[in-house]
Amino acid sequence: MTWTGQARSIVAFLLLTFAASVVPVVTHDLYKVDVATTILQDLILAMSLRVVMNLGLLNLAHTSLMGIGAYVSAALAMRLGMSFWLTLPIAAGAAALMALALGMLTLRLHGPYFFLLTFAVMSMIQLFFHSYLEEIFGGATGLIGVPRPNPLGFGSFTLPLVSKVSLYYLILAFWIAAAAVLIRLEYSRLGLQCAAVKQSEAVARSVGIHTIRCKLLVLSLSGFLAGVAGVFFAHSRGVINSSDFGIDPMLKLLVYVVVGGVSNFWGPVVGTIGFSVLSEYLRSFHFLETLMYGAVLIAVMRLFPEGITGACERIFAAARPGSVPSHVTAGA
Amino acid sequence: MFEATLAFQALINGASVALVYILVALGLTLIFSIMGIINFAHGEFYMLGGFAAYYLAQVAGMNYIAMLAVTFLAVCAFGFCLERLLFEPLRAQPLSGFIASLGLLLVLQAGVSILFGVTDKRVDSPFPGILHGYGLVISRERLFVMMASAVLIALLYCFLRWSKQGLALRAAAQEWEAAAVLGINVNRISGLAFGMGCALAAAAGALLAPVFYVTPTMGAQPLVKAFIIVIIGGMGSLPGAVAGGAFLGLLESIGPMFFSPATVDLLGFGAIVVLLLVRPTGLVKS
Repeated sequence: MTWTGQARSIVAFLLLTFAASVVPVVTHDLYKVDVATTILQDLILAMSLRVVMNLGLLNLAHTSLMGIGAYVSAALAMRLGMSFWLTLPIAAGAAALMALALGMLTLRLHGPYFFLLTFAVMSMIQLFFHSYLEEIFGGATGLIGVPRPNPLGFGSFTLPLVSKVSLYYLILAFWIAAAAVLIRLEYSRLGLQCAAVKQSEAVARSVGIHTIRCKLLVLSLSGFLAGVAGVFFAHSRGVINSSDFGIDPMLKLLVYVVVGGVSNFWGPVVGTIGFSVLSEYLRSFHFLETLMYGAVLIAVMRLFPEGITGACERIFAAARPGSVPSHVTAGA
Repeated sequence: MFEATLAFQALINGASVALVYILVALGLTLIFSIMGIINFAHGEFYMLGGFAAYYLAQVAGMNYIAMLAVTFLAVCAFGFCLERLLFEPLRAQPLSGFIASLGLLLVLQAGVSILFGVTDKRVDSPFPGILHGYGLVISRERLFVMMASAVLIALLYCFLRWSKQGLALRAAAQEWEAAAVLGINVNRISGLAFGMGCALAAAAGALLAPVFYVTPTMGAQPLVKAFIIVIIGGMGSLPGAVAGGAFLGLLESIGPMFFSPATVDLLGFGAIVVLLLVRPTGLVKS
């Protein structure tokens, strides 16, 4: 069962990678490339948020971790003139450390209390970037003029990373790496342990799973990936502000993951692509866009409370006679 | 002596707004205690209250207290229907309920923007003028806001403490299934709790309409405040919400005399973090 699940995921991953890599070839519309760039960046965020939520930890500070990646990298590049390729691991590492610290602080908290605490932490991090250390982080105006990523050089060959298409391929490379790591995690021993923790933490502990180590590892990895997305965000847009990492983008991300489905690996992918495309089509309607977006949210949650992929799993499981109930195969 | 007067004055100003935020927080915690859903659209019912104040009192010239009663009952009925149609099947799924309430927030905010426009609307004070005494100044409007909120909180307390419906509501909050076994119609109680929670927020919005402007986005600020109050007081605890509101009101009125506004906000969130780590059930023991 595990193998077929993994094989299916790898096929889906390869198909998506292929589809994504031909986007700039198929369309020459730079706006569409821009939208696709944002989708890939959101995919990294949504997929890394899902692994934490799958442990039963609703981390509302996920975009703050992204913000730490963005601010640390931008500040290092602007104040110290460091190269993008040096600030990338440092800033993502800082986000991972913050996630680890958050995890260690909240080991004893469960369910709604973890969620509430991360809400407070998210607000504090946003306030910190907004109002403190203005000479480093730019205060209320944020940081303007973050440099583009330094060109990639191999000997005499250099690849400039300035145009929209080149930035698109950069985030595509990041997404491929992130998705590969997450697929590896999903079907590894650690992934199985996480699935056990999700079903029952007490039982998982009783069969010898180090649940705390499990949580901390997944949280740090998720923080690292959010940090990578943040670094890309800062250097590709050139302007960052503390409100980019507040409650609104966090809720948008949460919508992607929950509507897509938390229990399925591809849930956040379905949610992110579906809602990003939907909001592009609704954009011209202004307030009507918000109205319809909200109506879709209500309708999906009312009809499929377990998310779109969760509902698909249930329908397929019911269609196959004598099949295993979906909650047994959900982790596989 | 001067310092003390200043602090007292700040306290009075803080108290009038804090009392209203307690109303919003009480509604939020009432809904959470029965349904286990964090209603993210709660601020939008506050906003609906503000618009009711504008159209009923300002435009149609209705008596302010009659307007409050009408708004309370209308929003209560609206909330009851919403719970029956929308949130009832999501009761056991807090995450889905949360996302659905987020959808409701967007629908209500955009709907009001389309119907009534986004320009600021001014509501005249029903009680103009100010009162002096003991070196302190208070506007009659703020005094009215404080008294009305205090009356509403007292009425809610009496309802929950002594009425049959209130007793059923407390029973359902304590043990859902046991309450159902004892013949309490928990579905109706759940709808009632949601409706009353929303109506409390709407009453708060109608009360503060003359103090601030009425706009479709006015619900965001009280929602965050109510959220902080509810966490400090303990999710689902009604006395906790009052204690949390008192704490936040104190911090926000006295705090700015010593710290910058950003630091005051940071302290508020810091208090949440410390409290959740040390005492996750909130200030008041249930």
